[in-house]
Amino acid sequence: MKGMVFVELLQMAEELLGEDVVDDVLDRCDLSTGGAYNAVGNYPCSELMTLVQAFSSHVGTPVPELQRRFGHWMHARFVKSYPGFFTDKPDALSMFESIEDEVHVEVRKLYPDVELPRFETERIADQALRLTYRSSRPLSDFCHGLVEACLDHYGQPAQVARRDLSGGGESVAEFTVRLGG
Amino acid sequence: MTDPAPPRPDPAPTVSRARYDRERRARQEAESLLEAKSRELYVVNQRLMRQAEALEQAVRDRTADLEAARAQAEAASAAKSVFLASMSHEIRTPLNGVLGMAAALGDTPLSVAQRDMLAVIIDSGDMLLSVLNDILDLSKIEAGRFELEDVPFDLAEAVRSVERMHALKAEEKGLDFGVQVRGAGWVRGDPNRLRQVLGNLVSNAIKFTERGLVRVLADLSPPDAAGGVLLRLVVADTGQGIGDDRMAQLFTPYAQGGPAVARQYGGTGLGLSIARQFCRMMGGDLTAESRPGFGSTFTATVRLAVAEAPPLAQPGAVERDFAERLRRQPLSILAAEDNGTNQLVLKGLLRRFDLRVDIVPNGRVAVEAWHRDRPDLILMDVQMPLMNGIEATQAIRRAEAEARRPRTPIIALSANAMRHQIEEYLAVGMDGNVTKPIRRAELIEAIVAVLPRPAPAARACDRPDAVCTPRAG
Ligand SMILES: Nc1ncnc2c1ncn2[C@@H]1O[C@H](COP(=O)(O)OP(=O)(O)OP(=O)(O)O)[C@@H](O)[C@H]1O
Ligand SMILES: [Mg+2]
Repeated sequence: MKGMVFVELLQMAEELLGEDVVDDVLDRCDLSTGGAYNAVGNYPCSELMTLVQAFSSHVGTPVPELQRRFGHWMHARFVKSYPGFFTDKPDALSMFESIEDEVHVEVRKLYPDVELPRFETERIADQALRLTYRSSRPLSDFCHGLVEACLDHYGQPAQVARRDLSGGGESVAEFTVRLGG
Repeated sequence: MTDPAPPRPDPAPTVSRARYDRERRARQEAESLLEAKSRELYVVNQRLMRQAEALEQAVRDRTADLEAARAQAEAASAAKSVFLASMSHEIRTPLNGVLGMAAALGDTPLSVAQRDMLAVIIDSGDMLLSVLNDILDLSKIEAGRFELEDVPFDLAEAVRSVERMHALKAEEKGLDFGVQVRGAGWVRGDPNRLRQVLGNLVSNAIKFTERGLVRVLADLSPPDAAGGVLLRLVVADTGQGIGDDRMAQLFTPYAQGGPAVARQYGGTGLGLSIARQFCRMMGGDLTAESRPGFGSTFTATVRLAVAEAPPLAQPGAVERDFAERLRRQPLSILAAEDNGTNQLVLKGLLRRFDLRVDIVPNGRVAVEAWHRDRPDLILMDVQMPLMNGIEATQAIRRAEAEARRPRTPIIALSANAMRHQIEEYLAVGMDGNVTKPIRRAELIEAIVAVLPRPAPAARACDRPDAVCTPRAG
């Protein structure tokens, strides 16, 4: 898993809990890296799960909730670092539609060996879209956070219904997004 | 001197040892990743550079290959032209034999049936000769070695001779064939090439027209200040016409209107391409217009110059005068010719005249015979074994100068000679040239032209196109 995710997770934790708490948590976890992460490195996904779990126990927030918050955080980071992706999309639905064929293409240019989740989209109405997330990693909640943050970013009220279709070692989440109330 | 102490920064916020170590490890790891990436980039870059170099080399190789292929194709094309020229030449020599002997046969008593057969032999031979000449012309044009003549001739007569040649064929097909000549007179130019151009247009018009008209207009412009004239030859027919798709190929060598044309009408598809090139060499052009199903109109233009009309000469007069002269003054001719058939042709052509002809097979024997027999005139083939005609002529001219002997006229018998070659013959001491296939009238004209003028009549050298070298004795 790309180091950027780890770096961002620790950043968020530091903001919420302070450096000392983060250092403590890192010291207590059993990590192959000893908790040293940089944005361009690659680290086992299990360590991310370990960290999320550790922070969750520390603050008493359930893991799914934490993942979701992390999704919001990560989205803000994307907007800041890659504003170009957002400026030419009129709304959140077109942003979702562009992930697979535009955003991921750019990511692969930077990290040819990256393992990315898949985002399938299907317009079910003019203002409604079905987004299916598939990944070998159990990060459906993180994805949920990203979806919500993106809708917030465009400032359009929307309804999001989520269905879990995971199975066979794959996390699958189907989001049905309807714009307008 | 000491400055006042700078303001102290705030005491640095402390960072735990563990945090510091983590940050450092993370940085070191990022650095080694960066190094690995740099190395990778370098390797990939090298590979790209090698690939670009290889591509450039491939392009260079390919270009060189193409260049070589082009040079090869050009060499092959030049070789083809040379081959065609020499092959046509090789065929012409025996054909000359056939035609010469056929002409000689015409001078012997023959039955009517034999005369008819002879006419077919001569017709077919003439046709074969004209195809051969076409191929030869084209290869000379393609090799850039074609030389035009520049002699005075009667334009109207040239046009009429083409008319005469085709009138019978037009009549056989029931065509209304008319020729109109406007503003013609004597001009300077290449009459044979002009006849060839017009002849092909007229023969095409008759060939490709089943009913209706074939009209020829020869229109000569008034002379400009420099005496230049523009001749326009228009040949119009009411034949099958030429489709747009064929128009583009019309002047391409060997291109006929499809293979069916050769089957039905014969021909080689060289006529128009040669005609156009001749027109262009003569400062004009050849163009075509056609409405398929209604007919075609070909317009040829050439630049000529006005010329003075020479005093009238009667047809057949040269030969008659020659025979007359022989009665008063005997003539002995030495002919050097290695080819047995050509020897027979020469004898056949001269048989009707009362003169002596000795034939020898090469230049060396010719020089000996000249020493011994003192002939009045020598006919000298150019290419012969042991000693060729040029060497023999030079030897004779040297011997004459040393012994102060009078000069013996020498006429070259050349196959397929070009103007610069004829000039070379004259330069080494020959006095005239007759081109094979030898026609009796031309041979006699050339002989008369180089012989010393007989006392009473002086006709031959009035002809402007005869080669006359003034000499003593
Ligand atoms: N007056 C015409 N009417 C219709 N078609 C013509 C006419 N003149 C020429 N063509 C077409 O153009 C072709 C080329 O003419 P060209 O004189 O070059 O060759 P050819 O007459 O077939 O053969 P060659 O002249 O060599 O004996 C002919 O085969 C014929 O299809
Ligand atoms: Mg023709």
